[in-house]
Amino acid sequence: MRNIIETRKLCKTFSNGGVQQHVLKNLDLQIKEGDFTVIMGPSGAGKSTLLYALSGMDKPTLGQVIFSGEDITKMNSDKLAVFRRTHCGFVFQQTYLVDSMSVMDNVLSAGLLINKNKAEVTKKAEEILKSVDISEEKWGKFPTQISGGEAQRVGIARALINKPELVFADEPTGALNSKTGKDVLDALTKFNRDGQSIVMVTHDITSARRGNRILYVRDGEIAGELDLGAYVTGDKERHQKLRDFLGGMGW
Amino acid sequence: MNKTFILARSHFRKNKGTTIGLLCLMLIAVMLLSASLLLIFDAYPLATRESERLDSGSGRVRIYNNLTDIDEEFIDELLSEDCVRYDVQDCLCYSAMPVPFGNGKTTVALVIDDDSAFEKEMGRTEVVTEDTSIADDYIYLPYQFYTSGGYDIGDTYSFDLLDRTYDLTVRGFTTTPYYGCNNVGGFEVIVDDDTYAELYEIDGEEYACLCAVYELKDGVKNSKFEISLNDKVIARNSRAIVSPMSIEFTNEQRTFMSKIIAVSFMVVTLVIFVVVFLMLTNCITNYIKENMKTLGALKAIGYTSSDIRASLLVLFGSCALIGALIGIVLSYVIMPYIASFAIAQMGIPYTVSFNALTSIASMLAIVAFTCIVTAAAVIKVRKIEPIVALREGTESHNFRKNRFALNKTHAGLDFSLAMKTMCFNMKQNVITFFVIGIIMFLCTIALLMYYNFNKKPRLEILTFEITSGVVAVDPDTADELEAYLESRDDLYNVRQIFDVWFTYNGEDSLKVYICDDTSKLKNQDVCYSGRLPEYDNEIAVSGRFAKDYGFEIGDEIPMTYGDDTYTYLITGLIQTTNEAGRQGVLNFAGAEHLIDFEYIPGYYWFDCDDTETTAAIIDDCSEEFGDHIVATMNFNEILEGSMTTFKGLAAMMLVFICIISAALILLVLYLLIKAFIFSKRKDYGIYKAIGYTSNSLILQTALSFMPSIIVSAVVFSVVSYYVANPYMNLIMSFFGIVKSNFVIPVPGLAAIALGVIVISFLFAMFEARKIKDIEAYNMLLAE
Repeated sequence: MRNIIETRKLCKTFSNGGVQQHVLKNLDLQIKEGDFTVIMGPSGAGKSTLLYALSGMDKPTLGQVIFSGEDITKMNSDKLAVFRRTHCGFVFQQTYLVDSMSVMDNVLSAGLLINKNKAEVTKKAEEILKSVDISEEKWGKFPTQISGGEAQRVGIARALINKPELVFADEPTGALNSKTGKDVLDALTKFNRDGQSIVMVTHDITSARRGNRILYVRDGEIAGELDLGAYVTGDKERHQKLRDFLGGMGW
Repeated sequence: MNKTFILARSHFRKNKGTTIGLLCLMLIAVMLLSASLLLIFDAYPLATRESERLDSGSGRVRIYNNLTDIDEEFIDELLSEDCVRYDVQDCLCYSAMPVPFGNGKTTVALVIDDDSAFEKEMGRTEVVTEDTSIADDYIYLPYQFYTSGGYDIGDTYSFDLLDRTYDLTVRGFTTTPYYGCNNVGGFEVIVDDDTYAELYEIDGEEYACLCAVYELKDGVKNSKFEISLNDKVIARNSRAIVSPMSIEFTNEQRTFMSKIIAVSFMVVTLVIFVVVFLMLTNCITNYIKENMKTLGALKAIGYTSSDIRASLLVLFGSCALIGALIGIVLSYVIMPYIASFAIAQMGIPYTVSFNALTSIASMLAIVAFTCIVTAAAVIKVRKIEPIVALREGTESHNFRKNRFALNKTHAGLDFSLAMKTMCFNMKQNVITFFVIGIIMFLCTIALLMYYNFNKKPRLEILTFEITSGVVAVDPDTADELEAYLESRDDLYNVRQIFDVWFTYNGEDSLKVYICDDTSKLKNQDVCYSGRLPEYDNEIAVSGRFAKDYGFEIGDEIPMTYGDDTYTYLITGLIQTTNEAGRQGVLNFAGAEHLIDFEYIPGYYWFDCDDTETTAAIIDDCSEEFGDHIVATMNFNEILEGSMTTFKGLAAMMLVFICIISAALILLVLYLLIKAFIFSKRKDYGIYKAIGYTSNSLILQTALSFMPSIIVSAVVFSVVSYYVANPYMNLIMSFFGIVKSNFVIPVPGLAAIALGVIVISFLFAMFEARKIKDIEAYNMLLAE
């Protein structure tokens, strides 16, 4: 599989009151096409920083992020926005749907950015919403009128409407209960099985089990990597394997 | 430091931009209020102060044309009975004389005197500024020639006196209570002794004049005194002309324009106060909404609602206080410029000095206004429960409809999103709608004034009749002149009009225009109610006169001329700004009841296409009728001179209101968009995260404000078009004009509406550029 993303000596430093904090340190990694890559690590390890640096949402201090052959660190914010709309999808911990838009419009607002054919985009949005179990009567509702789990699944639909090369998910189940969290993970797993590449940051082992590749970040570096293989429902061995790996990392 | 001040300072730090924006709005409001109050209480009463300083007494009377048997002894006899004191001067007086002024000429009674005029005991004439090195062939002009006449010391003042031309050097400018302003109808000029002697030698017999200034005894009514004076003089010498004028009337005429400016400024100020009210309420409500969490936290740690309310009152009260102080200072900076227009017509030297009363009143007005609005708006702080506030309030979404559903609308994405945003920000849009509406109305009034007083001056609003020219000949030649004028192809609508003073019941006087046929009057609008007289027993009188004496259309009114009295039926009411509203209209048949036309010169008014043709006609008449000519007037030429100050005022108002409007649009959009972006920063972050560019979001934001701006500009253009005239009628009613029918050029109005829309869009785009600073990542971190 080809590399969608390749980082070279990626560094991110924050300056706080004159004190330099090196969050990412000379990080080299590759994200492969078709993978469900999970980034784990302790709080403050730099997981989210890495995710947003990879997606072009945040600029690294040094180094390169080669995304589909383009160095996105050299792009200005508008170019990055255009790049993101065609290459990336995002699922956040807070759903970050636009409150003043209906469920359908939230999805379409992303879809219509790159495809002006309204009928085509609408059809696609309907399919995706159905595939994440958002029933038709919810399409006209506003984000505050649906449940948190439903809102998160709408977020997934919005992330996938443009068939991005890579979906970035930052703690997508962090604000959900276990039942709705499972629904969201099922949706992500399903799309991954259909070929969608995903990078997910989580500190939840249940969520992490869904990935086929686990990267453990500690002190701004990749401390370890685990190849779990494709997710299979009820695979207890997989769970243990992950626990052992994390135990070894000092989790 | 007191906890209230600590909190207030914290509020300010968090809302610097908004607070400063509000401060600017308050500053503008106070600046205008202070300037308006200065105009009303300092500049406007200038004429009264100056007349008191120059000891104007109760009035003045000018007796001229023929002074046979009228000497100072007779005048003493006339005045001593009703006056406490008086002062009489000899001079020369040329009535209805066109003199160069501004860009043309103005027709006034030209009173010429020598240096002895500076020694008058009453109604003094004083030098404002002079160059004593100019020793020969000099002239002192009234100060109005400097303020709006376009002359300065050392300039050559060339004027025609009958068929002679004089070129005199301007030695200085004077201030005088009765002859210092063209609106009063008289200019007093002082020439060097040699020139005066020469003039007296040539014109002394025909144009000698006695000018008296008097102070009436208590209980003597000026109008009655004037009538009695006139009767006594005419009884002595029927060829003498008596022209009296009270100081009240003089000052009323003299301050006509400063009153318009003061009223206009006050209206603009009140309108801006409405804008301040809207913005203040909006900003405070937004502040509370956006800072719900902080307010909740403050309550949680023990601050009471009163503490928080007091801190907000301190913040906005201080803001108003600072704005007021700066605004007051600025009002004194702009005041000389504004006052220059207010005194342009008065022709009285004026220096802006600090007026504690107006400054304190302006400051108290904005501070009290701000505190009341703030106190009312912050009441809701009491209702905020800490736990609810910490959750950023219990949002009760009441989405009626998903407007501009993206899958259904045919519009583009940016436009559809902009429209969605607009639908969810109705409050801002309502405010924008009304602010733009107010601005449109102000601009329409400015356009109206510019168009009707500058671009195409409509003197018919201010005078009885308009024409291209007037030629008057002695009574014996009248028929001949009429035939001559009727035979010419380059003129039309020849009509006879002259005026005489009638008296009513021995109490008051009325300047009556006598027309051969009132239907020929070009200014039919002069009659605003009823109709002009058609039959010999009919008269139309000014509305102000009718009101003063309780007359209505259909009533009968006795009019006296000399010893004869005739009772007329009032058929209509006319409007006028002149003669303190003492004017009337009769036709020839009606006038014949009182006047013997045998001795009245033939005054022929005519219309033609342009000023040059008028001049040619007048020249031809002068050549044809030579010494039979009594008077000529090229109206368009005089219009230029007479309208100079009006034109300047109209242009100034247009520029001023445009600047104020632009500043208001800028400030209001700044405050609204700033608050809007702040409240929507999360949404902008989301949009950016999913791939929207800053430019696209800026455009969406600016566009979201445009529907209310466009609708407001269009709606208020139409509303202003219909409301401007009634509004102007209301304002002009203070000056005796009831039906003004000002022209509002539709293309000009459309250009203003378009200008407001374009400026608003550009400002909105400019203000919305702050969206560029919002980074999706920062938005996520903020959460």
